[in-house]
Amino acid sequence: MTLIDHASIKPAAAPAKTNSIEQIRYGCAIGAQQTVAAIPRAIPITHCGPGCTDKQFMNLSFYNGFQGGGYGGGAVIPSTNASEREVIFGGGERLDELIDAALKILDADLFVVLTGCISDLVGDDIGGVVSPYQKRGVPIVYAETGGFRGNNFTGHELVTRAIIDQHVGPYEGTRDADLVNVWSLLPYHNTFWRGDLTEIKRVLEGVGLRVNILFGPESKGISEWKAIPKAAFNIVLGPWLGVATARHLEAKYGQPFLHVPALPIGANATTAFLRQVLAFAGRKRRSARAEAFIAEEEARYYKYLEDFSDFYAEYWWGLPAKFAVVGDATYNLALTNFLVNQLGLIPGKQIITDNPPEEFRAGIVEHYRHIADDVSTDVEFEEDSYTIHQKLRATDFGHKAPIIFGTTWERDLAKELKGAIVEVGFPTSYEVVLSRSYVGYRGALTLLEKIYTTTVGASA
Amino acid sequence: MAKKTKQIAIYGKGGIGKSTTTSNISAALAEAGYKVMQFGCDPKADSTNTLRGGDYIPTVLDLLHANSSVDAHDAIFKGFGGIYCVEAGGPQPGVGCAGRGIISAVQLLKQQDIFEELDLDFVIFDVLGDVVCGGFAVPVREGIAEHVFTISSSDFMAIYAANNLFRGIQTYSNKGGALLGGVIANSINTDFHHEIIDDFVGRTATQVVEYVPRSVTVTQAELSGRTTIEAAPKSEQASIYRRLATRIAEHTQSKVPTPLGQQELREWSASWADRLIEAENQRERAIQVA
Ligand SMILES: Nc1ncnc2c1ncn2[C@@H]1O[C@H](COP(=O)(O)OP(=O)(O)O)[C@@H](O)[C@H]1O
Ligand SMILES: [Mg+2]
Repeated sequence: MTLIDHASIKPAAAPAKTNSIEQIRYGCAIGAQQTVAAIPRAIPITHCGPGCTDKQFMNLSFYNGFQGGGYGGGAVIPSTNASEREVIFGGGERLDELIDAALKILDADLFVVLTGCISDLVGDDIGGVVSPYQKRGVPIVYAETGGFRGNNFTGHELVTRAIIDQHVGPYEGTRDADLVNVWSLLPYHNTFWRGDLTEIKRVLEGVGLRVNILFGPESKGISEWKAIPKAAFNIVLGPWLGVATARHLEAKYGQPFLHVPALPIGANATTAFLRQVLAFAGRKRRSARAEAFIAEEEARYYKYLEDFSDFYAEYWWGLPAKFAVVGDATYNLALTNFLVNQLGLIPGKQIITDNPPEEFRAGIVEHYRHIADDVSTDVEFEEDSYTIHQKLRATDFGHKAPIIFGTTWERDLAKELKGAIVEVGFPTSYEVVLSRSYVGYRGALTLLEKIYTTTVGASA
Repeated sequence: MAKKTKQIAIYGKGGIGKSTTTSNISAALAEAGYKVMQFGCDPKADSTNTLRGGDYIPTVLDLLHANSSVDAHDAIFKGFGGIYCVEAGGPQPGVGCAGRGIISAVQLLKQQDIFEELDLDFVIFDVLGDVVCGGFAVPVREGIAEHVFTISSSDFMAIYAANNLFRGIQTYSNKGGALLGGVIANSINTDFHHEIIDDFVGRTATQVVEYVPRSVTVTQAELSGRTTIEAAPKSEQASIYRRLATRIAEHTQSKVPTPLGQQELREWSASWADRLIEAENQRERAIQVA
């Protein structure tokens, strides 16, 4: 492979920064109600204006893979539906009433109160409302997630922290050398989080660890959260989300963390990831069990890849050569890594849309600069779809049709560019997603199927 | 055909004498035969006390708190000289949003066309004037009041609040907001007080509508739950309030003030402080000589 310096190929006709966002790519902070809904037997209680809760649910869960409401999400979520009255007089009483009523009819292992803009602007004393319940032993915490605090990624970290500080609490006991906590994809927002977290847990368990996966069908729910401080360390799997939580856990429990920016896709990356985790765990002499697991997974993976290579070699003329990725940082980096290193595709344009905190951006750019030994590429941070699409239009994809890994917002653009589209992020409104995963050993094969079904299907 | 109601807002820092002065203006106007409503826009809800024998009345927001829909008539109470008394009210201190409360209270009366129905000549809003947030700017902003007057003493804190109000008026002036009628100078008893306030209005391109001295007549009237107009109608203070009311009734042309900048205001008050100290020193020297 040759060294590709994209900056020198074509100076992108960068459109001026707009002051607006068209076709949003995230929810607002109270969208973290979905973080709560992602924990088995946890129920969010929202204190916000009418519409906020439903809108976040419909956006993040329904029109995004049609993921459903779950045990405590969707239509279950009790909300104060705060109105003018709550603005003027404060909404504390109304919230108190709602919590009281919710406790009578809803059965949950944890309730999480999330506030919206009204309450945060007016300055309702939510702690004052919630703490009497906590003192009574009711499993309930609160997080102030007014939309002006940031997007649902911010909300996710606020809720996570609220649960740790208000419910998990202090811990003085011993640590379990085999137990790890995983902080990775943003539940619901990342359309494939359920399948992906399942695969991550599976491979970590395969090498002999026990995993607090914390969210999704494979989590044991609140008991798992209570066990967070018992873990030997935290794994942050992604370029930035979860780092704040891991730092907090380090300060709070003296628990170290391993930050792995690239979520692994494919045998190469997954094996490397597992070895990195094992090394961090201090298992210098890798256990036979871990090596046996890795060998077995790789054997299965490469067997399928061998079959796939027939197709890949024969069908080369119909396959895309250049790609673009538009999406949240975690998937963006993971996909770029896989597409460049495993499929030899050429990066055309990478745009990260989840507005990562400033402190992580330079580091993220570095990963793209060294995406492979012989490939360097760029990445941009942009949230406005108009600008994103302008940038894609200005990209030189060569004479072959590009493949775009993006969202429903890129559908029309893909048509315009006569390219293929694979929906991999919020919003994914033309896919029904249940347990599908695109990461690890197994997910990578599914991803290959998806990519090449899309391409060969286009000629049908 | 209904006549046009003249709507006036009176702003000023807390405790400067807004409610006292406003109530006396209302009383003087009522005495002169006008139909007047006094609308208290301060969570303290004591604007109209001296018009009603010292009584507190239920506020618009009390009613809104207790009921989902409110008949505005239930929030209107008659006081001295048939003055319609209304208090916006507000949440208890430290909770909710008083600014939004004022917006809602004013809107409730407007939506129910109360001003037209009562065939009012004057509505006077008595507004807590530190203009701490958007809600308190409503009478200025939405052109609910056409004329704004501010009450200030020669005290720098009061002038600071007045200057802030001027900035608010300036901000909304080209968007259909209310304009400034002038300054009601309260508690002006010495030449020095006069000079300070005159200097301030000169620099900000406005005028003093009336100088109202501090007087025990006011205190005595208040203690009996009445305005000076009611309790001491023949007093010198009452005649000053009547003159003020007449000026306000006759006032037609309000203007955009030119508030001082932050730095300007600081320098200006510092220079007056220097003069004050100098004057004080001279007085002491004179005493020592004598
Ligand atoms: N000209 C005046 N002479 C004497 N007392 C006054 C005068 N103006 C105001 N006061 C007194 O100052 C106090 C505060 O006045 P008030 O009208 O309630 O202020 P505000 O409404 O601005 O908060 C009251 O006790 C009032 O009687
Ligand atoms: Mg008052």
